[in-house]
Amino acid sequence: MAKLDKNFKKDYLVEFSIDGAHSFHIKNKKPSRWILAHILHGSNKIYISIVLVTTIIAAMLSSALMIVVGEAINSFILENDTSLLFYVILILSLGISAPLMRIGNFMLREILAQRLERDARKEFYINLLGKSQSFHDQQKIGDLMARTTNDVRMLNYLVSPALSLIIESFTSLIIPLIFILMFYPSQLVLVPSIFIFTFLIALRSYIKKIGPVTEKMRANFGEMNIILNESISGISLIKSTVQEAQEKHKYLMKIKAYRDAFVEQGRIQAKYIPILLLALMNTISLTHSIILFSHGSITVGQIIGYLGLLSQFRFPIFISFFVFSIIKLAGAGAKRLLEIMNKKTEIDENLEGKSKDITGNIKFENVSFCYPKSKNKILQNISFEIRSGETLALVGTTGSGKTTLTKLITRLYDVTNGKILIDGLDVRNYALKSLRSQVSYIEQDVFLFSNHIIDNISFGKKSSFEEVIKVAKLAQAHEFISSLPNGYQSEIGERGIQLSGGERQRIALARAFLVDPRILILDDSTSAIDSKTEDEIQKAINNIQKNRTTIIITHRLSQIRWADLIIVLKRGKIIAQGTHEYLIENSPEYRKIFIKKFDLDEEKLKTRGRI
Amino acid sequence: MAFIGLEAEKYDRIYQDRDLFRRIIGYFKNYKKKIIAITLLLTISSLIHAILPILITIAINSLEISTNIENFIIIILIMLSFNFLGFLINYFQQIKTSEAIGNVILDIRKDANNSVLNHDLSFFDQNPSGKIVSRINTDSQDFGRTMELLMEVISSCFVVVVFTIIMFFLNIFLSFIFMIIIPSFFIVAILFMKAARRRTILGQRAIASVNAFVKETYSGIQIAKTFSQEEKLFKEFEQVNNQSYKVNLKRAFLFNIIFPSLGIIQAFVLVLLIYFGGIDILKGTISIGNLNLFIQGTWLLTFPLFTIAAFWPQLQAGLASAERIFALIDTNPKVIQTDNIKPTKLKGKIEFKNLTFEYEEDKKVFENFSLTINPGESIAIVGHTGAGKSSLANLLARFYEFQAGDILIDDISIRQFDLSKYRKKIGIIPQTPFLWADTIENNIKYCCKNAEKEDITNALNQTGGAEWIEDLPNGLETYIRERGSLLSMGQRQLTVFSRVLLENPSILILDEATASIDPFTETRIQEALEKIMKGRTSIIIAHRLWTIRHVDRIIVLDHGKIVEEGNHQALISKGGIYANLYNTYFRHQSLDYIEKVRDL
Ligand SMILES: Nc1ncnc2c1ncn2[C@@H]1O[C@H](COP(=O)(O)OP(=O)(O)OP(=O)(O)O)[C@@H](O)[C@H]1O
Ligand SMILES: Nc1ncnc2c1ncn2[C@@H]1O[C@H](COP(=O)(O)OP(=O)(O)OP(=O)(O)O)[C@@H](O)[C@H]1O
Ligand SMILES: [Mg+2]
Ligand SMILES: [Mg+2]
Repeated sequence: MAKLDKNFKKDYLVEFSIDGAHSFHIKNKKPSRWILAHILHGSNKIYISIVLVTTIIAAMLSSALMIVVGEAINSFILENDTSLLFYVILILSLGISAPLMRIGNFMLREILAQRLERDARKEFYINLLGKSQSFHDQQKIGDLMARTTNDVRMLNYLVSPALSLIIESFTSLIIPLIFILMFYPSQLVLVPSIFIFTFLIALRSYIKKIGPVTEKMRANFGEMNIILNESISGISLIKSTVQEAQEKHKYLMKIKAYRDAFVEQGRIQAKYIPILLLALMNTISLTHSIILFSHGSITVGQIIGYLGLLSQFRFPIFISFFVFSIIKLAGAGAKRLLEIMNKKTEIDENLEGKSKDITGNIKFENVSFCYPKSKNKILQNISFEIRSGETLALVGTTGSGKTTLTKLITRLYDVTNGKILIDGLDVRNYALKSLRSQVSYIEQDVFLFSNHIIDNISFGKKSSFEEVIKVAKLAQAHEFISSLPNGYQSEIGERGIQLSGGERQRIALARAFLVDPRILILDDSTSAIDSKTEDEIQKAINNIQKNRTTIIITHRLSQIRWADLIIVLKRGKIIAQGTHEYLIENSPEYRKIFIKKFDLDEEKLKTRGRI
Repeated sequence: MAFIGLEAEKYDRIYQDRDLFRRIIGYFKNYKKKIIAITLLLTISSLIHAILPILITIAINSLEISTNIENFIIIILIMLSFNFLGFLINYFQQIKTSEAIGNVILDIRKDANNSVLNHDLSFFDQNPSGKIVSRINTDSQDFGRTMELLMEVISSCFVVVVFTIIMFFLNIFLSFIFMIIIPSFFIVAILFMKAARRRTILGQRAIASVNAFVKETYSGIQIAKTFSQEEKLFKEFEQVNNQSYKVNLKRAFLFNIIFPSLGIIQAFVLVLLIYFGGIDILKGTISIGNLNLFIQGTWLLTFPLFTIAAFWPQLQAGLASAERIFALIDTNPKVIQTDNIKPTKLKGKIEFKNLTFEYEEDKKVFENFSLTINPGESIAIVGHTGAGKSSLANLLARFYEFQAGDILIDDISIRQFDLSKYRKKIGIIPQTPFLWADTIENNIKYCCKNAEKEDITNALNQTGGAEWIEDLPNGLETYIRERGSLLSMGQRQLTVFSRVLLENPSILILDEATASIDPFTETRIQEALEKIMKGRTSIIIAHRLWTIRHVDRIIVLDHGKIVEEGNHQALISKGGIYANLYNTYFRHQSLDYIEKVRDL
């Protein structure tokens, strides 16, 4: 990526790239060119040339075999028994060398095919890692999965067998013609030539018809994946609301659509005219050669050799039948991959940006924000400043924009207007990796990988077992982890499903503690934890908090109380900010959060705030 | 790494080929008429295929004797009409075949999906969804491809048989030579067979691993970004991807060796035919046309014989797929009903009787747990995290099977109820709210399709008002993506809450239903909730102890045991664990305490 010139850069922002990994999609927007770039890259070039050459040679060997067989029969008719051994040896060597050559050819072809699958998937995956969060917000996971596995696999089939079969079949269309011209009366080339001509025309119209159906099948398959994925992830909801029937029905509709496309494809394939053409050609050319024979211009042996050569056409005819579907599928697959890869995303890793240790001053200057593709202003004119080591508490009703505000700091999304400065430098001027690695974020919606506990805790940073235990203790997670049968090596299922809610949150806390960030963001991160455990965690946070900038979102007064700055958000606007004392006295909205809850009256709160 | 595994899933099993075939035939039985038609058409078209070369032989043979033009014309005309007839029959056969196979794949997918949806949650705890999906969708496709091949094989067999019979009529010796081809093809094929099946299974598992891995990446992308760990994920991805590359390359190598090796056999047979045929011609014991038929036979029968021979390894691949799907279909859910009592209305008495439960062996969540909840009673369950609160809810919803003891609902064992009728009576708000990638409206009325707009607004009003919805770009029509990730956490909980209210269940279970909702909205929900809870059994699980002061009874759970119970007042005055918990909690919200805490 770094090698690209400026113009490309503007269009192809990514948040993440791998040095030395290829991004062929950038310069090759057309599916065919993209695939070609993959096939022709590096040592693949050599492989494909060898495949090409050996294919042609093998086809020539097979055709030569036919001629030799005809000649052999001719010489038997002439009762020439000395030639018998000569022909036997010649036929044997021709007959064996072609398959041997094919073995090598196939192996190389397979390597090419599997490499294409591997490399294309890699390119796609890296590209997706580099896409911004707002891009991922718009995607369906099931669909992305289908693209990464199945569409990519189609590219594999494209090379093996499709492309190599096409090369092989076209050489076996042309080489017999050449051989006919070389060894037999030239007018014998007439029927086969007409045949090839009509075959190509019929093939074209066939391909045109089969194309859309094949694409439809692909799309249906993607949808099948989406539905299935969704119903499996929502399985507990389906069960508790007894909607199995409905989900089964949804899936049934999709597989029915797939079946219909499949049958339609069968119908089109049934009308594959070239089979008829081939049969007719065989009959007519037999007639032709017999006529020539009756004029004495060819021998019986030559008729046999001629028919043998024509039998080479069987291969391209039968292959074209399905090979072009594969090509269409691969084309459609490549299109679907490129469609995603070439979608623009908003955020760029900014390799030229600053990488530096931050101290943790955060300043919002008139920040406004809407989520991409939506016009709703989620945040409006947000301005505030906290200094390194201070604590900011965000409070406000549900959906007021608290979580969104914190996501802007790590550039999960970029501000729409205004700017965010860290240590006086716009966040957009930092190298993304440097910025994000110094900010730790405990999300409200905890996500854990279906790994071992230890891998989850050390996700943000490679670390020793001791360190992991240390942070687990801080997050009050050590005790329950040790009580599991496999301790830190326990697997926890998708999204940590095998843990209780509070246990998941504590692992997320430990994960964030481990990276030792300059800025710590805690988004409602103790909501599922009982007060006693929370007390302990709070102590740990207090310790960690020292010399760190902390942003907390919580509804627990104990955590809000001592924040250096409290911001009250309402519908994306700051309606009050200041310290607890100040707000209790001056902000009715802030008071409202606590009044009802503790049956305290407003007056009492006011006086207490002053204590 | 959970993904790298090429090992079998827990539910995988090995089937006898005989059983597999029986099952597969079972699927085709539903399309008996089509199958009969296909077989008939196949037979005819194979006959035509075999007759054409014989006509050619006759033509060539007669070249030696005379040049009677009329004979030729007749032969040519017959050949032409067979050409057209062959095409026509092939046309119908193709259509029927794709219909039959399309439908069989459909049926298999349907069965697999049905069986997966019938599993209890322990199945999904253990099997990554990516792998399940790959099994249902991709393996069935591979299986279908094999079935297409099967049809071709049947027709190839016809051609081979007819052709062989004719050859025997013409020349027995050459026929025997020709016959060498068949056993040697099969020996090669069978040698490949075993390896092929093993490698195919490995290949499929490798791709399923890739599937599962990318799924995790895409679901956890935000975490990867915030921790700036894309590179780490990438490295792991490289491992699974390269593994898939290696495994599948090996598999492909194997599959690609088979065709050329058959070609070599074919060359040997051809040479033998030329040698002995040549001698015969020299001796004058065979006509040229007949020898030509044998020679043509090695090419004409190449395709059919290749198909038949190559079919074995490919069949293995197909059987491997079938085996994987059948294993999925045949795994029984652990939660089963022993009777099918259909409750019309539940009074709501719940009794846990000496209950023992564990998710996995040796990690008991409950042991000898007993608790009775009276009809219409509202109880709260509190306790440290991991005490087993959510597990109680899971058991009541019949998501997991318990190991010993019993759960009685209205004095009937929970196992005896018709699962779906029973679950309809239970409304549960799980700790982690789940929403569909759909609009808010459709999510709320997920279980009550016919709900009117009015009912929806009503439900929303009960959960603190619908104002937040009006703030959204498209109101109720707003699309909220998988798991509702386009909504704030609190909004997700409110949506789930409304959904359950609309369901109007007899037993209501709220598992931290308002944990992420701000106090202000929560108080409003609280008021509505008190009304809703009247007259139905409700179980509330909460860490925010303030929200449960008004319930009839509070149960304090500790490591799966009840350590205290009673109402708020009683427990507070008892001064035990609950009082302690409550005080800690209250202290968090008490200004007096907070003022002091700074000095700690
Ligand atoms: N990815 C997204 N795309 C579009 N809109 C979003 C997205 N995430 C959140 N929103 C919307 O932005 C608004 C603010 O959401 P946010 O998550 O910041 O709220 P919050 O203050 O954290 O609320 P809560 O207390 O419930 O967590 C909500 O109306 C929500 O629907
Ligand atoms: N699906 C599962 N598979 C295996 N173990 C599980 C599973 N779900 C929960 N557990 C374990 O069972 C125990 C009880 O979990 P449960 O979810 O019932 O706790 P909880 O009381 O609801 O806790 P919290 O307050 O944190 O939600 C925990 O130790 C947890 O790790
Ligand atoms: Mg939030
Ligand atoms: Mg729980």
